[in-house]
Amino acid sequence: MLNYYDPSQHRPNPNQDLGTPARLSEKQIALTIDGLEISVPEGTSVMRAAALAGITIPKLCATDNLEAFGSCRLCAVQIEGRRGYPASCTTPVAEGMDVTTQNGKLAKLRRNIMELYISDHPLDCLTCPANGDCELQDMAGAVGLREVRYGFEGANHLDAPTDDSNPYFSFDASKCIVCSRCVRACEEVQGTFALTIDGRGFDSKVAAGQDEDFMDSECVSCGACVQACPTSTLMEKSVIDQGVPEHSVVTTCAYCGVGCSFKAEMKGDQLVRMVPYKGGDANHGHSCVKGRFAFGYATHKDRIKTPMIRDSINEPWREVSWEEAIQFSARRLKEIQAKYGRESIGGITSSRCTNEETYLVQKLIRAAFGNNNTDTCARVCHSPTGFGLKTTLGESAGTQTFDSVMKADTILVIGANPTDAHPVFGSQMRRRLRQGATLIVADPRRIDLLKTPHGGRMLHLPLRPGTNVALINSLAHVVVSEGLEDQAFIEARCESGAYQAWRDFILEERNSPEALEAVTGVAAEKVREAARAYAEVHNGAIYYGLGVTEHSQGSTMVMGIANLAMATGNIGREGVGVNPLRGQNNVQGSCDMGSFPHELPGYQHVADPAVRDRFEAVWKVKIDDEPGLRIPNMFDSAIAGTFKALYVQGEDIAQSDPNTQHVQAALTSLDCLIVQDIFLNETAKYAHVLLPGSTFLEKNGTFTNAERRINRVRKVMPPVAGKEDWEVTQELANALGYPMNYSHPSEIMDEIALLTPTFTGVSYARLEEQGSIQWPCNDEHPDGTPTMHEVDFPIGKGHFAVTEYVPTEERTTRRFPLLLTTGRILSQYNVGAQTRRTANSQWHDEDVLEIHPSDAELRGIRDGDWLGVSSRVGHTVLRCRISDRMQPGVVYTTFHHPGSGANVITTDSSDWATNCPEYKVTAVQVEKVSQPSQWQQNFQDFDRRQKDYLENAGADATVDEPAPMGK
Amino acid sequence: MSGQGLEQLVKMVNQISANMHGATDQQAADKVATHLQKFWARAMKEQIIAYANDGGEDLTPISRMAVEKLREVRAAG
Repeated sequence: MLNYYDPSQHRPNPNQDLGTPARLSEKQIALTIDGLEISVPEGTSVMRAAALAGITIPKLCATDNLEAFGSCRLCAVQIEGRRGYPASCTTPVAEGMDVTTQNGKLAKLRRNIMELYISDHPLDCLTCPANGDCELQDMAGAVGLREVRYGFEGANHLDAPTDDSNPYFSFDASKCIVCSRCVRACEEVQGTFALTIDGRGFDSKVAAGQDEDFMDSECVSCGACVQACPTSTLMEKSVIDQGVPEHSVVTTCAYCGVGCSFKAEMKGDQLVRMVPYKGGDANHGHSCVKGRFAFGYATHKDRIKTPMIRDSINEPWREVSWEEAIQFSARRLKEIQAKYGRESIGGITSSRCTNEETYLVQKLIRAAFGNNNTDTCARVCHSPTGFGLKTTLGESAGTQTFDSVMKADTILVIGANPTDAHPVFGSQMRRRLRQGATLIVADPRRIDLLKTPHGGRMLHLPLRPGTNVALINSLAHVVVSEGLEDQAFIEARCESGAYQAWRDFILEERNSPEALEAVTGVAAEKVREAARAYAEVHNGAIYYGLGVTEHSQGSTMVMGIANLAMATGNIGREGVGVNPLRGQNNVQGSCDMGSFPHELPGYQHVADPAVRDRFEAVWKVKIDDEPGLRIPNMFDSAIAGTFKALYVQGEDIAQSDPNTQHVQAALTSLDCLIVQDIFLNETAKYAHVLLPGSTFLEKNGTFTNAERRINRVRKVMPPVAGKEDWEVTQELANALGYPMNYSHPSEIMDEIALLTPTFTGVSYARLEEQGSIQWPCNDEHPDGTPTMHEVDFPIGKGHFAVTEYVPTEERTTRRFPLLLTTGRILSQYNVGAQTRRTANSQWHDEDVLEIHPSDAELRGIRDGDWLGVSSRVGHTVLRCRISDRMQPGVVYTTFHHPGSGANVITTDSSDWATNCPEYKVTAVQVEKVSQPSQWQQNFQDFDRRQKDYLENAGADATVDEPAPMGK
Repeated sequence: MSGQGLEQLVKMVNQISANMHGATDQQAADKVATHLQKFWARAMKEQIIAYANDGGEDLTPISRMAVEKLREVRAAG
């Protein structure tokens, strides 16, 4: 007998559709199908049981990422002792059941059903975009349909119009069989509920929104419906244009920190479409509009294809060979070090590049530059997570898998917007909310998660920006004062002295919700209700984002979150935990790989001689025992004249970092700026060397997502400029006289495994076998570690940290009476360099300022007006959107478009422990204006000039005009 | 580093002092000193020590004690 118990949904061949979802019951049910005995978990459908036994039952409306629906009846079977022909998709297995899937009666029944379907379907298979990839076509073949006796003259839908409004897929209603897979995918998989079946009987049709075009509806273009469609009704336009792909490679998305697995479906070296991979442990076959569709930037005409150099940023670029560009860079770096000292240069690693590339850049800096002046853009997003979690829990990483949320009873989301910034995980969270979990959102804005249809209890704590620590302290005060602590956990797992000190502190009356109500703006009773909702359930899970970290007390807040989780025993099992949602694809990895100036890979401090000894033995070079400069320190030192050269791989500090004018001043102070990127980004406009980067499609490597999951990135096309990014770093090291001789990124990973105690078991061979690995992966955890801190903490006992609330110095005044907070939206990614070069801009073609109706009215502002936004450091102009998602006194914008200058306004205030910028709180004034700001006018001039320099690259240098912003 | 750079360092150390707590001022200052030793670059530490030696007038009392402690730790090597 075949025994089938599958604790994981996808371990069967992820390329096979088993018809209905897995059931995880441990009770096995034995039955016979076509004479074959099989045993499957209770609750499994007959269809899935048959598929597991290798028996294929014809089907149209069933697919294994959706619950069974039973509408097409094609999957009818006969069951001994039961009447009629039950649908195998909706019939659960029963002990001793005897199923027949093929006989004369069933064949006739299925042919009749197919005949009806085909009588209202265009017979244009040869010219149909789904030709060869159509389940309807397959089923017609499988049931042996030979004729349609009804003719094609009767009432039909063959002239139904096509909706082409979405830039990435079309909806051809004439080909629709109304199986409702798309409608159910939109509900069950994505959770948006944008689609419905409109009308009844013969008039039934799929409709988006209120029977609108897809683009005008609530559709978020995640692609789940396209994926689910068994015909060519919902079809990628790229397939319509290019035809069905001929091979595919599994790889990892390079957008957000969810790290979805995709099949890159190819024709030769042309990418036709990205299809979410069911075998991906982070996404289980789901996707969002970015990863699924926004890959066109990889072949955009703006890609930098040739290395370029110039002596000054007021000169056109000169196209040169790789050899010349590398030699030029090395010479400049050496000259600067000779003149200004060893510590006068540094580099920035990328959270978008692979682990191997990041590792190599920090190695280049520590070994070839001879200093620790390495930092990464994680500085400006999650550095407080590293500091805060290491101090309290002993490891700088989130504690759970994404799947853990499916066991959470209460989900507390603080300063994160998963449906926009981590959409695939946002969908999974919504799935859990629809099952009845309680949601608590602590956020100044009313985020979309609070609008989850059919969700359970929802609480919104609309706190004032900058008062996170006051809120977390008051939540903890309730937990302790109302006796909701998990004393057994605290006694067994936490340091008692630190706990007592924290407990005494948190119990002080000044930390009560009543005392802090005036600070946070959240009603005390609501705080008490939320604390109880989190602490009284079995499993409480905390998810947080940049709304926690990007504050002057970002690190304190992270520690406050860890305190709360420890106090309630919500650590060390599934369904609980402390979960930082990482912004970029490899933020976790870039931190793990030693990008920070004080830590070697694996968070090992440079001052520890034992650590340095191990690295020095392998690297064969002396490592500096003092930390280097952080990004903001680099800028300050550049302006002060002591820091002179910077190597930036795959980051756009000129757009993403706060106080743009300060950053511009720093960049123009440099004698040599080397930028390695796929486009002429904002930073590259200040560069002297421009090295072409490669996209994730053009290289091999690994990314590590927010669940510490290491996933393979696989090369599907050659790099446009001939080199993967790690090769360029290696050549620069060699030119500087420090030898590097890797022939494949797998060799770099082997070195990482050798030197990083949490990575000793990681190798490309293991990744190939397992699909993905969650670190720590070593002798103690040979298969990786889905859930952290199950038995103890890396520091032994958990450490409660006292979290005194210290208000930010950035506060409203009469001159700047509003608070600006910044964030992201679904369709754009970070600085937008990639997504702005795709049709995603149709959803968001400019950054706007959201303002509450009462603040707008007070200023005589109307929707669509141009608004001047001023802070103490800068002034910019944005278009107005009046929105009651904001609270009065708070305005909001995004930073996806460089010309918006959102970061011209943000200040150099930062987290006390890590210097992570305080993006989320800037005091501003807003007024109606009629023209762009002075900064924007300068930006446009500078942008135009730098683009001219790029277009005229290679031509003689003749342009020489006054430089308002460059040096 | 001078001028704006130094001003920034003073602001940073004062901010760290405002966020680090101990049973006594000396304990808090020791924590701040450890933080500086652990996270600040060599040049930044030297700058702030030199500034304190010159009077360090904008340092808060805890910051001043912390920089003094940092100086001792570094002198002890």
